[in-house]
Amino acid sequence: MQTGIIADIQRSSVHDGPGLRTTVFFKGCPLHCAWCHNPETIDPKPQLLEYPEKCICCGMCSKGCFSGAKVICGKEMSSDEVMEQILHDKQYYVKGGGVTFSGGEPFMQADFLNTLIDKCKSQGIHTAVETSMAIYSEAVISKLDLIMCDLKIWDKDIHREYVGIDPGIIRANIEKADMLGIPIILRTPVIPGIKQEIDKISAFAKQLNNVIQYELLPYHPLGTEKAKAMGIEQKEFKTPSNEYMEELKKYAYIR
Amino acid sequence: MLTYADRLKSMRETKIRHTLEKRAQNGYTDLDDFGTVPITKDYEVEPWYNSSNGSFYGYDGMCENFVRVIGAHPAYVDPMEMLCGRWRDMLVNYRGDLHYMPDWLKKRPKTMEFMKTATAQWSKRWDEQRFPYDDLKPLQKKYNIQTGIDGDAHFACDYRIGLESGFGGLLEKIRKYRDINKGKEDFYNAEERCVIAICDFIQRHIDKIEELIVSETRPEIRENLTKMLEVNKNIKLGAPKTFYEACQWVAHFNCASRIYTRDGAGFQLDVILLPYYENDVRNGILDDETAKFLIANLLLIDPHYYQISGVDENDRDMTNHLSYLILEAADSINISCNLTVRVHENCDREFLRRAVYYLFKNKNGWPRFCNDKALAEGYMRNGVDKKTARERIAVGCNWMCVPGKEFPMNDTVKINIAKVFEHALNDLKNEVVKSAEKLFELYEKHLKIAAEVTAAGINLHIDHCHDVTPELIMNLMMHDTIEKGLDISECAKLYTVGVDGAGLAVVADSLGAISDRIEKEQLLGWDELFGALESNFEGAKNERIRAIMSSAPKYCGGGTEADRWAIRLTESFTKIIKSTPMPDGRTLVPGWFSWARSIEYGTAVAATPNGRKSCEPISHGANPNSGFRRDGAVTAQSNGIASVQCGYGNSAPLQIEFDPKITVEEGGIDAVLSLIEAHFEQGGTLININILDTEKLMEAHKNPESHPDLVVRVTGFTAYFASLSPKFRQLVVDRFLQGM
Repeated sequence: MQTGIIADIQRSSVHDGPGLRTTVFFKGCPLHCAWCHNPETIDPKPQLLEYPEKCICCGMCSKGCFSGAKVICGKEMSSDEVMEQILHDKQYYVKGGGVTFSGGEPFMQADFLNTLIDKCKSQGIHTAVETSMAIYSEAVISKLDLIMCDLKIWDKDIHREYVGIDPGIIRANIEKADMLGIPIILRTPVIPGIKQEIDKISAFAKQLNNVIQYELLPYHPLGTEKAKAMGIEQKEFKTPSNEYMEELKKYAYIR
Repeated sequence: MLTYADRLKSMRETKIRHTLEKRAQNGYTDLDDFGTVPITKDYEVEPWYNSSNGSFYGYDGMCENFVRVIGAHPAYVDPMEMLCGRWRDMLVNYRGDLHYMPDWLKKRPKTMEFMKTATAQWSKRWDEQRFPYDDLKPLQKKYNIQTGIDGDAHFACDYRIGLESGFGGLLEKIRKYRDINKGKEDFYNAEERCVIAICDFIQRHIDKIEELIVSETRPEIRENLTKMLEVNKNIKLGAPKTFYEACQWVAHFNCASRIYTRDGAGFQLDVILLPYYENDVRNGILDDETAKFLIANLLLIDPHYYQISGVDENDRDMTNHLSYLILEAADSINISCNLTVRVHENCDREFLRRAVYYLFKNKNGWPRFCNDKALAEGYMRNGVDKKTARERIAVGCNWMCVPGKEFPMNDTVKINIAKVFEHALNDLKNEVVKSAEKLFELYEKHLKIAAEVTAAGINLHIDHCHDVTPELIMNLMMHDTIEKGLDISECAKLYTVGVDGAGLAVVADSLGAISDRIEKEQLLGWDELFGALESNFEGAKNERIRAIMSSAPKYCGGGTEADRWAIRLTESFTKIIKSTPMPDGRTLVPGWFSWARSIEYGTAVAATPNGRKSCEPISHGANPNSGFRRDGAVTAQSNGIASVQCGYGNSAPLQIEFDPKITVEEGGIDAVLSLIEAHFEQGGTLININILDTEKLMEAHKNPESHPDLVVRVTGFTAYFASLSPKFRQLVVDRFLQGM
């Protein structure tokens, strides 16, 4: 049976697309964004997160941890197991809600993603994806109802430095996706101190046909704690002020 | 010139000032706001005791003390308002009921003298000298039963009776039937004196208004007072004829009824007041702005439980223009408010959307929503016809009632099933073969005994409450009471008596953890569990056991063992409650609800296998325990609670704290609508929603005075956050953080 590695499934999500949604977090991502807020989803394999502050010092780690001090992130699941979770909330999806495949990068497990999309479609469930657009599979992406993707930095070198790959690949994939006629929400996480060139990204978005919204998302340091649990030190950036976000929005107008 | 908006602002400011003054006078109150105003300096009541028990009972005792308490109430007239009248004190304060006794009364030397004579019982509302129940007490205590004995109100009046006759008409009716039903003079004389005392209360308002008119210099306010005077003169004895008069009549009746037994049951506001509204509009004497102001004023005077929208006996939508005005009125005053929107598939969807919009706009926990299909169809399963089932409206914290006809004691009777479960656990220790199944069997055995002793308490109450606490005020608007010369407890058409279970999630999670961790995964043995429970999970080894048990999948997790146990516990509770024999056509109706007593009930229960330590609060109502899922998914909670409905017309409410970071613009209304509709499609009965502003809540938690206007839905009722005790504020904050 086909399986995938899933980091988490969150129900009642209201921030991963329209309506009430179930968000399926895939494990594995080809990017290494310096500010990643889900660093535990980068590695494709299950991995151990440690939260020593939760340890109750029972001295029985080898027999399993139940206090939350040692948690495995990532579980091998069959598509039926994932669907079972998704279908719990089918009745709540009717007013514009549905399922969002997120991560990590869902297209790292494109076949598994494809199966899940098909199964959702057969149940009449709205499907969306949150993708880095670093990987493109037209056969899969064309089945979706909504694409949410990031363009984080305009400049090639700066993008390479902070994200790990050439932004040209991402821009080209976004342009390809734009030809499919599927609504796209383009996003940029706002990281103070990095030259992102929101105006250029915004201009890029404007010339596309199907970008219905360009969102600026303020950086938050939630990833640092999780990175620490993985034994990695993640750089903490400055959280943008509300005033700064408002100022930037002037450049983020789409249509 | 002062506009309605100016006046509402002033009224709201006065309300906030009153809230702070009341807190200073009363101390913290984990209760409904009730619409009371602060006690005045010279306020004093000399209670009259007609029992050597040091309390008062019966027609004469209740009547005499009502006359004294309402008689001591000064008139309350705010020239900014169109309606007048407020209440501040109630009879129960003089019957040794510590639960409700406000601090200001405890400081009165006379009261302290009275309290010295207090007997072992916590309240003297019940006349134990004449109607003892010592035989029931050991088991009531054993199972931590809230007995309902000594309860009052918790049913609903048929306001049409009062509105059609007015106080003069009610007096005539009392006198007419006194002549017919010879030998019942005690009843009728008491009723008559009560109505006269209400009329005197109105007269004092008339006098006060006249006094204020003389010194009022603002022409528009002078005109306002002149109209108020005319209206009060008309309704002192006459039946209300206009929308204004009807609102004022209701306001006065509500004050009287609150003073008597704290009754907070309202009515179908948009239907009962509609003829007055339509008639006045037709006659050109009422515009919508004035109608809204009057409704806002009525809601300010008292946060009674009113239902709006819904369908009639023929499934026709009752939503009307007035329903919308009521929502707008509640929005304009935006205070503690207990409006319930009845939801049915035939109802105006735009109205439902509008109702949800106000949840977002004001973030004050109103309105809430009840499901017609589950409630009406459920109630019919008690052998009631559809018309009657449709009349049964939401008029209480978690409860419904057929106005004028039913005596349900709703919300006054509860069995703490966590305590019942504790006895089953203790019994299991002596069993050779231990299993979750055996534990459940023992639990059911104890629950049957608990149900029987609960029923015995209920019957004692119904049999004698006319001798102890006759409902002299509410009787005025009940069917057959005045006609027969009987208290409503003796002549109700329906005795569908609510018995709620409390602690569902604690027991379901305990059984679920046992099934998962001990039986399936075999991570623990029974002896280890019992050892840990006895030590209250103290020490590293037991702390690990606690971690193992408390990390087991929980009720509302979705398809968990605990979810299956919750359903089984519901089926079992329903079966046992429904099959407990009751005399004289009475029947018990099961529901899940703890009211605001989850902290108090928890203090009676030892450590439980779900990892809850001894004396920690039990779970709230039908809600899951905190941490039921890592994502705290409201949809999962909704599914879980929909699956534990007892199905006989009483509720197992869904209490949710919704993420405030989603706005109307971001599709918040659709998200909440999806939740309401899906929960109700699955058979849910009642939804209480808090959409709160995190920053405001946290600031208020730190310093309650910083946001005296912050209202939260504690459970079925809303309350001012600043008035809640620190423990309760913490409970609301914890629940809220859980829902983030």
